[in-house]
Amino acid sequence: MSSAVLELRDVSKSYAGSPPIEVLKEIDLKISEGELVAIVGPSGSGKSTLLNMMGALDRPTSGEVLIDGTVVNGLRDPSLSGVRGRRLGFVFQQFHLLPGLSATENVATGLLYHGTRGRARKAAAREALERVGLGHRLDQKPGKLSGGERQRVAIARALLGDPAIVLADEPTGNLDSQTTAEIVELFLELNEQGSTIVMITHDQDLTRSMPRVVEILDGEILDGAAAEPDTDEDDAL
Amino acid sequence: MMDRSKLRARDVVSTSVVGLRSRRGRTALTALGIAIGIASMVAVVGISSSSKAALIAQLDSLGTNLLRVEASSTGISIEPLPIEAEPMIRRVENVDAAAAVISTEFEVRRNDRDTNVVGINAMAASPELFETLRVDTTAGRPLDDGLRALPVVVLGDVAAIRLGITDLEGGPVIDVGGQDFVVVGILDELPLNPDISRKVLIGDQAAIELLGVEPNPTAIYVRVDPDLINETRPLLAPTAHPGRPAKVDVSRPSDLLEARAEVDQNLQNLLLALGGVALLVGGVGIANVMVISVLERRGEIGLRRALGATRGHIRSQFVLEAALLSGLGGVLGILLGSGITIGYARRQGWVVDLPPLALASGLGAALVIGMLAGFYPAAKAARLDPALAVSGGSN
Repeated sequence: MSSAVLELRDVSKSYAGSPPIEVLKEIDLKISEGELVAIVGPSGSGKSTLLNMMGALDRPTSGEVLIDGTVVNGLRDPSLSGVRGRRLGFVFQQFHLLPGLSATENVATGLLYHGTRGRARKAAAREALERVGLGHRLDQKPGKLSGGERQRVAIARALLGDPAIVLADEPTGNLDSQTTAEIVELFLELNEQGSTIVMITHDQDLTRSMPRVVEILDGEILDGAAAEPDTDEDDAL
Repeated sequence: MMDRSKLRARDVVSTSVVGLRSRRGRTALTALGIAIGIASMVAVVGISSSSKAALIAQLDSLGTNLLRVEASSTGISIEPLPIEAEPMIRRVENVDAAAAVISTEFEVRRNDRDTNVVGINAMAASPELFETLRVDTTAGRPLDDGLRALPVVVLGDVAAIRLGITDLEGGPVIDVGGQDFVVVGILDELPLNPDISRKVLIGDQAAIELLGVEPNPTAIYVRVDPDLINETRPLLAPTAHPGRPAKVDVSRPSDLLEARAEVDQNLQNLLLALGGVALLVGGVGIANVMVISVLERRGEIGLRRALGATRGHIRSQFVLEAALLSGLGGVLGILLGSGITIGYARRQGWVVDLPPLALASGLGAALVIGMLAGFYPAAKAARLDPALAVSGGSN
């Protein structure tokens, strides 16, 4: 039950400069199927870069990234894009909804680059919106939705196409505390239903309810690197 | 083993359409630039081709089979044609009608006025002239065999206006060479023979007997079989003046009218070039707006990359968006240009002639310009680093 869906082996990332800035230092990280993991660290700790590595949005300077068992380092753009589209789901702090499309149409874009027919995309989108509790807002444009509702739409989009893992980058960064709690609750529910989810946050409070917490500081993992769920509960740092 | 990203063809289109639909105001304004360029080009082509069509229709009704045989005017003194020239030409195969005229220096004046009308001269004509030129009268009647030797005159339309005689009420009389001539008719317009419009026409026998005009014709108008005009034309000079055919010029009055259409070609090219400049400016406008659009839409581009879009998908989205934008302008421009052409042609009383090829190439030009304008911004969009793009660009 604990096969790795995402694995970083010795991943380093540095950006050109003098001296070069090393943002990630030989990271080893394993995420198993069915896990809900919080990656927490202050701003500048390298957690966003880490998410970019995990999401195949950027390439590591050295080391290997395995997504769903595939080494993605050397893949060319079409294959890499395919990995992102089919194996991964993304949730962003800024939601990234298209203003001209309804909630259903926005969610349906989750399958756009799968080559799925429009009708099937819409049907899947409606189902996903029901799952995140927005069955009553299907035809609203993002402009008419609250921040929490927008993020639910974005989460529904990330769930489309059954990705191996959902990566959420500061998903509550633009939300008030009440809504934040609701979104965290939603992630817990989705995880219970079987989704593998990684959530990046700078907010230590959020990690309390998380089964596994990985702490990162100055490009290095302090705690939680090993994929042993339910054992690392000492989040008192 | 790896599933690649796929984007269905119709989704390529709808993705680009969504991009344009979400920014209606900008889309409309950007398309307007192209619309103006295409509209001006369509209007230029449409108006000039309608004008040409009108001219051709006019030529068809006037006939292009009228030839004019006259004494060559290269020498110092013009040697008139032989008297037999007219009957000889009439005998040439495929000649349907021929009529001689004799130009004179006689000026004319109304007999109730003191001064001559400058620029209006008398001309002697055989009665067949009116049939040969296919001209009608707006008042009275043309000369015929019965009036050939009488002191009567038929006025060309311009001559009539200059003399101030617009109808035959009260039996107007004019003075030619000191003798009274009764006006019996006024001719209709002569688009092919504006020179005759400025003449007062007297019967040839009357001119010879009453005014002492030399009987040698100065010109002969010849109507020939329209299908055999090229075969017949070379026969006319030797027939008119068997001894010295080189002293005879044969011209076709309709050529002058046709030449007028050709002169317009230069102006048309100039206007087309101006329309082309407007189109190019429109294209640059599209490129500009698309570059800005790509900068503004980094988040969307990053999202699409995260959703599985390849660089190629992003590139085609933006190229197609630019092409659709321009194509929209092209359609607007064609409607606008056609409207201008129809309005103008109606006012001129022309038949509207909008060449389908011009319309199609207008739309084609718009699409090509749009695509070219889209390449650079689309390449920029495709090159965006997905990691930077999803974070909104600020690292």
